[in-house]
Amino acid sequence: MSLYAAIFYLLATVILTATGLAITRRQPIHAVLYLIVAFLGTAALFFLLGAPLLAAFVVILYAGAIMVLILFVIMLLQRSPRELGLMPQWGHATLLGIVFLAVAIAMVFKDPGSGIVLQGAVAQPKDFGRFLFERYWLAVEIVSILLLVALVAIIQVARGRGTSGDEAERQTNPVRNSDGTLYPGGVVSKSTLAAEQQGIVSNGGKEGHP
Amino acid sequence: MIVPFGHVFLLAGLIFSMGLVCLVAHRNLIMTLVGVEVMMNAAAIAFVAAALRWQLMEGQAFVLFILAVAAAEVSVGLALVVGAYRRTGSLDPDHYDILKG
Amino acid sequence: MTSWLQDPSLMAAILTTWLPFVSFLLIIVFTRDHRRLSAGLSIAAVTGSLAGAVFLLARHWSAGEPIHYAASWLIAGDIYIPFGFLLDPLSLLMLSLVAVISFLVQVYSLGYMADDPGFSRYYAFQSLFAWAMMSLSISSAMLQLYVFWELVGLSSYLLIGFWYERFSATQAGKKAFVMTRLGDVSFFIGILLVLLHVGNLEILKLNSPEIAARMPSGLLTLAALLIFGGIVGKSAQFPLMTWLPDAMEGPTPVSALLHSATMVAAGVYLLARLFPFLSQSADAMTVFLAIGTISMLLASTMAMVSRDIKRVWAYSTISQLGFMIMGLAAGSLFAGTFHLTTHAGFKALLFLCSGVWVHLYETNDVYEISGRGGQRLKTPMVCLIIAAAALSGLPPLSGFFSKEVILASLAGLSNPLWLAAGLFGVFLTAYYAFRLVFIILFPWQEVRQESSHHETGRMRTLYWAMGLPLVILSGVTLVLGFLETPLREFLLGGKAAHPNRDLVWLPYLSVGLAALGVSLAWFEFGRRAATQIGFVERIPPLRDLFAQNWYLDHLYRKLVDIVIDGIFSRGCSKNEDKVINEGIDGFSRFTLDSGRFFSLLQSGKLRYNLIVMFAALALVALYFLISE
Repeated sequence: MSLYAAIFYLLATVILTATGLAITRRQPIHAVLYLIVAFLGTAALFFLLGAPLLAAFVVILYAGAIMVLILFVIMLLQRSPRELGLMPQWGHATLLGIVFLAVAIAMVFKDPGSGIVLQGAVAQPKDFGRFLFERYWLAVEIVSILLLVALVAIIQVARGRGTSGDEAERQTNPVRNSDGTLYPGGVVSKSTLAAEQQGIVSNGGKEGHP
Repeated sequence: MIVPFGHVFLLAGLIFSMGLVCLVAHRNLIMTLVGVEVMMNAAAIAFVAAALRWQLMEGQAFVLFILAVAAAEVSVGLALVVGAYRRTGSLDPDHYDILKG
Repeated sequence: MTSWLQDPSLMAAILTTWLPFVSFLLIIVFTRDHRRLSAGLSIAAVTGSLAGAVFLLARHWSAGEPIHYAASWLIAGDIYIPFGFLLDPLSLLMLSLVAVISFLVQVYSLGYMADDPGFSRYYAFQSLFAWAMMSLSISSAMLQLYVFWELVGLSSYLLIGFWYERFSATQAGKKAFVMTRLGDVSFFIGILLVLLHVGNLEILKLNSPEIAARMPSGLLTLAALLIFGGIVGKSAQFPLMTWLPDAMEGPTPVSALLHSATMVAAGVYLLARLFPFLSQSADAMTVFLAIGTISMLLASTMAMVSRDIKRVWAYSTISQLGFMIMGLAAGSLFAGTFHLTTHAGFKALLFLCSGVWVHLYETNDVYEISGRGGQRLKTPMVCLIIAAAALSGLPPLSGFFSKEVILASLAGLSNPLWLAAGLFGVFLTAYYAFRLVFIILFPWQEVRQESSHHETGRMRTLYWAMGLPLVILSGVTLVLGFLETPLREFLLGGKAAHPNRDLVWLPYLSVGLAALGVSLAWFEFGRRAATQIGFVERIPPLRDLFAQNWYLDHLYRKLVDIVIDGIFSRGCSKNEDKVINEGIDGFSRFTLDSGRFFSLLQSGKLRYNLIVMFAALALVALYFLISE
């Protein structure tokens, strides 16, 4: 086994361990932190596989921006750790994961091309940049438009929709169902609230289905 | 001379299924997004390995796009999560069952 | 087919059979409110038919071969079913008989039904019957005959239940129809059997000897027995005999026409019609003989205890029909047919005479008729005596001659049991016939004085309408016997075997027995000091047995209750409830439940939707993997 192979298996172990730890944490913050480790491992793997620019991007964007963003939002939610860490339900998920894995393994071993040993090569950033902007400039432009759209959408969503003047009230007095649980959504106004409290409007599908 | 291509692919598959498990098992919307990120990570690894196998740079270009899209998607998703949390005060997707049939 | 306008026989045949149908249509559609017009139409039509029948009879009196007009009706592969007219001696004889009796009865009905509100309807149905019966007589193929057989049954139903406001009348009509229908089912199966094996239902072909070669003997016997089932139903033989006494609910002229002379005789006519075909099977003939004998004896016993004048003659009809079947089954075509002819005459006469009293006193009870002075009406009384004598077989009336022929053919059989039964039947017939005569003739108590109904002019005309047929029929009864030899030659076409001269003692024996019966009746009913209680009536169990029709109706009731209601009806309702309803309900329940089941998929929870999504993805991957 060559040096590169050894490095690869080491990195693979790191990534797998970190990801495995990440998904089994009950607290999202712990999961995110482990995931950052996994992404750093991924970046190293990209170095190994000859994509240094991408490795840098992974570190900057993925580990640096996206995970930090998630951390910010978790802290924004102002919930106690106990409330955030809900008990996960492993049953169906594990089954599904195993099925997927089995299919993936089968696919890999069926492919005759999977035995080809990867040859080392490096895509230099300069060459990669030129290649990207020469051949796939349209895709780059479209992705930038996508980012713009996402920006607009986020601003709009984060501002909150619905009738004006209700936002402050909704935040301080969230609507509750007749049995105390929170009303799960939809546009709410005072009159609807009053009618619902008189029991006319059905409470969100909790009644028995005919 | 690194490793057989299949091994890398297998690694990607393993990471993908782990992300899948995270996605459907947790009752916290944030963890759902974490799962999505893990799956995207797996896809990126697969693409880079494929680029190396075929000795083409298209694979790496696509990884770039994946990164960009992941960023956009996670931000929008988080905005929606925040909005949903504001409306209902809960992050448990099991509580959002108005559309229950 | 020859051009039908130019052939007088064909023309006559068509007119004879279809004039009454035209009259029926006209009456039903146009003249329901005009009584006289309806009666006029109907009688005119039947007169035309009578003229046609007589014309045909005269024209073909000495024709050697039967005349056959046929048109193709149903052809499929090697199955050929025609329809048309068959004019041979037997059918022409029947046609004339039906025409004459229909004519006389329709004239009689002018008087009998004069005050009835359903006058037009009555004549419409009479025309319907005349059409159906005459077409039946000269049908040339079995299926055509079956169609008119059913039509005759229909007219019988309509006429029995003529006074439909009376519940008993409608019940009787239904009973008649259903019972004859049972027989007709077996008849039809027999026809089908013949059709399947021979491929041809023409009567001429069926009667030819080569048919015996085409059908295996077992099947021939089976077909013969099945066809006889229809005869049992239509001619009210054992065991389908109880509808005929109940059919007396209809007006008396109807009883005279349908249920004595013509319709019930259609069964015997069928037997005579297919005589060469049916006689190929000796086993079937034996069965016919047995059933005829049983019916004859059973019905005679029932007649001995009845107080209802019409029912007595009904039982007598059953008995005489059995006698005719005995004659035919014993191998003599002429015997049965001759008795059919003479019986039509005197039985119709008996009914019409009784009808005069029934109409006048509005009661069927003999004792009451007698007590109110029935014997003072001379024409009915004299005609009754003549007809009863003919029925009993006293010389020189027609009944004597025809009974002799039958008894002679019975004597020709190897087993003397049949002859003994026949002679016993003669005794019983004489007894019950004259029992009735003497009850009417010699009333039990002093007769109440009733005002005469002969006063008004209209009444006189009507009573002439009723009286004239009586006289005519009496004349026929007196004379017909002497026409035996010419009829025999006509019917059997010159190939007639001369009657057996060895049995000289037979006529004396039968007349002696008849006389014995008459004297027994005289002893019990006619003498000055008679108690008017028959010897049978002194034995209560025997009397009950006879009066209850040998408990046949009770048997049928039980049969219907246990078999039909218990098994079939219950089976069918159970099938409807459990199988059909449950099936449909189950189907709808399945729909509901499967919907409910699938609605579980719509849990509304994000996680489960995602699981399903990825599971589908895995399946797709699997599919591609496998189909590699």
